[in-house]
Amino acid sequence: MIGPSAPLAPSAPLALTMYFALVSSISFGGFPTVLPDVRNFVVGTHGWMTDQDFANIFAMAQSIPGPNMILMMSFLGSKVWGFPGAIASAFATFGPPCTIYFASYRLWDRFRDAPWQQIVRLRLIPVVMGLVIASGTVMARAADTSWRAVAVTLAAAAITLATRLSPLWMLLVGGALGGLGLL
Amino acid sequence: MTEMAKRRELGQAVPLGALFTAFLAVSLYGVGGGGGIVWARRIAVEKRRWISDREFADIVSLCQFMPGPNIVGIAVCVGAKMRGTIGTIAAVSGFLVIPWAIGFSVGLLFLEYAHLPVLRNILGGIAATAAGLLIATGIRLLLPHQRRPAALLFAGLAFGLITFAKLPLLAVLFVLVPLSIAIAGIEKARVR
Repeated sequence: MIGPSAPLAPSAPLALTMYFALVSSISFGGFPTVLPDVRNFVVGTHGWMTDQDFANIFAMAQSIPGPNMILMMSFLGSKVWGFPGAIASAFATFGPPCTIYFASYRLWDRFRDAPWQQIVRLRLIPVVMGLVIASGTVMARAADTSWRAVAVTLAAAAITLATRLSPLWMLLVGGALGGLGLL
Repeated sequence: MTEMAKRRELGQAVPLGALFTAFLAVSLYGVGGGGGIVWARRIAVEKRRWISDREFADIVSLCQFMPGPNIVGIAVCVGAKMRGTIGTIAAVSGFLVIPWAIGFSVGLLFLEYAHLPVLRNILGGIAATAAGLLIATGIRLLLPHQRRPAALLFAGLAFGLITFAKLPLLAVLFVLVPLSIAIAGIEKARVR
């Protein structure tokens, strides 16, 4: 599974790592915004893997626990350069954004009582929360293939709002219902 | 915020190990895309009471505007808030190191067995539940703004433009946020 399926140019690992570092620095809004470009780079431009390889890796990265975007890039990296490729891709994917997050949080924190920040805060947060609810809905649209699955989504939302029950129990019940073929 | 400052003065710093394990849990529990925000709020706000809901909403909003995996950004910001640079390193390591190793191994296995229907059904059930959790977290963080009609209008617009008009996230952010801030300016001028 790990390792290239075809002989590669010696510069391939470097090209891939540089590319991931660049892409992670411009992936505003997270991974979905750069996904098409990544596919073009690894499948189209360089032919490091097939479309089927790419689709399998994406489906898997979406459904296992952990830092999905970083894992996805690591699997792509491992296709090109084995285990070292996986490690290099992981660092290239989280390193630059972490530096940016840290610097901007420091800046934000320093000016936390500035009047402009109060205005931005009050106006920005509702928009962002609308986006969070939207990504939940987009996920639901992909996951809810029956009315019973829709009911599970609604129940999970209602229970979260009304109680402090741990989400873990709900995920377990949801997974069990799915596993028993009830959804 | 003031409570935090007090705690810092008293020298009751959050242990680095606690930051590590908290974000380890956030990472492991967050199944599928977007699950992390549910668990980050649950653990940092509800269980450990490190930050308030308002501060959490601040951090999430800040991270939305930055490139990269946004949940890692939450780890960076909460770590930086509690313990500065070293806190960031602890939180990010907790979030990444062990979960990456587990995810990478599970992923290799998964690629072998991805065709099994039972596995697919279980993941389907988890995904349906996770979607509901995400919707509820967004609603809950919006609750402090429920008395301001302009806030609800812009939340609704953001939701609709992504869900129904299917516009790219970046376009929605960079159109709605300046508009929302401009309207705040007009409201303020009128009050004066």
